[in-house]
Amino acid sequence: MTRNLLMIAAGTAIALAAGLVMTAPARAQSGVVASAMSAGTVGEQADGYLGIAGSVGGDVRAQVEAINIRRRAAYTDLAGKRGVTVQDAAAATGCQTLSSRVKEGQVYRIGAGAWQTKGAGPIALPAYCADAG
Amino acid sequence: MTRRGIIIAGIAAAALPGCIQVKAPDKPIEINLNVKVQQEVVVRLQRDAQDLIQKNPELFPQ
Repeated sequence: MTRNLLMIAAGTAIALAAGLVMTAPARAQSGVVASAMSAGTVGEQADGYLGIAGSVGGDVRAQVEAINIRRRAAYTDLAGKRGVTVQDAAAATGCQTLSSRVKEGQVYRIGAGAWQTKGAGPIALPAYCADAG
Repeated sequence: MTRRGIIIAGIAAAALPGCIQVKAPDKPIEINLNVKVQQEVVVRLQRDAQDLIQKNPELFPQ
């Protein structure tokens, strides 16, 4: 009985440790993107995806790509539900990120334009974002 | 009979200048609602986009 309990305890400890090993890099990676955003090397784009605005390490680049792939899946899902193109669903989300998520000092890009740094005021959104907010 | 016909034709002819003639257009009348529909799609999508961001915080780091 006690032996069984010990084994269960040991098993739980191993599972917990494995869980920590599995989740720690993922957490660190999402952190590196946030850090890069604060540093102005990664920013939101009006097309609904993250973009690389400056010099970043391979880990940041890989994480940005991974996020964008998952975003695309979410946009595809939404587009299917609403009968719009994936591009439209992505752009609508881009309106939201630019209007309410990009913080002062962070960078953003509209279309193929240059990266801009958000000032104190709201970002001048593209015309199709008319009712964002 | 023909006399009567001539009289009616005469009355009709006399009445013509005072008539308002309504002529159906050759082409069907088109009312363009695309702009409004497009606008509704955009507004609805904006709400969906807000939900999408809130439900997937790990995809939208800040």
